[in-house]
Amino acid sequence: MNSDILLLLFSGFLAFMLGVYILFMYRNLLRIIIGVEVMAKGITLLFLAAGAFQGKIAFIQSLVVTFIIVETILAAIMLALVFTVHKIYDSLDIQLLSKLKG
Amino acid sequence: MLLWILLGLLLVFLVLCAIFRDLLYMAISLALASIILAIVLFHYGANIAGVFELSVCAGLITVLFVSTVSLTKDSDQKVESRVPVYFLPFIILLFLGLDFFIVRWLSGTILPKDLTQQAASTATFQSVFWTERTADMLGQIGLILAGVFGILALFRVASKEKQHE
Repeated sequence: MNSDILLLLFSGFLAFMLGVYILFMYRNLLRIIIGVEVMAKGITLLFLAAGAFQGKIAFIQSLVVTFIIVETILAAIMLALVFTVHKIYDSLDIQLLSKLKG
Repeated sequence: MLLWILLGLLLVFLVLCAIFRDLLYMAISLALASIILAIVLFHYGANIAGVFELSVCAGLITVLFVSTVSLTKDSDQKVESRVPVYFLPFIILLFLGLDFFIVRWLSGTILPKDLTQQAASTATFQSVFWTERTADMLGQIGLILAGVFGILALFRVASKEKQHE
């Protein structure tokens, strides 16, 4: 059981780091949002590892459900922003957004 | 053994998210990762969280992604540099090393202490959600309203611009 928890932790951290890599290495806004989603998968795994470790799966389930709602709202808002940005700039390159600088 | 296979598959699909050039394939790969994560949640007895992950993350978010990809088709996909993909194997090796040290540090410090103190809880999801964490509902309702109002505000601006044109 303990090795399973370590495996969950290991996968969670790896997924989180992979998300950070996608976030920083790509310029396309949609890819960046996918990076955030990848990080979210890692965080869900870390939540599950914490719940399994403490033997409180029911408690951690309620946190995971709340986190999924947060994740969905975040994705919806970001995708709406992407759509608006695409309408204005006709591109999804984040470097074009530097025009917003004062 | 099942957990090893599931988590291996999950990580493969997440890595594919970073590799695919086509945004549609990236979205599908993310959906497959969500499905695997839902199976992992079911494996641990977190059935309701698994259902949420399956229906909301693998379903709704994928639909939103695919819709946005189809609505914003442009030439960006050709411009995107492949350098991050070439660096990826080295970065994954670096992450694996870093991850190994983090998990080894955690297993040596935090984990063994708590393992002796904590006993497995027999509480059900329903009892925890509706008694101990009822206040979470307010936060969730607030979040959903924030999302709805945020999207409404964004598209209101877009429609006003259309009127000016």
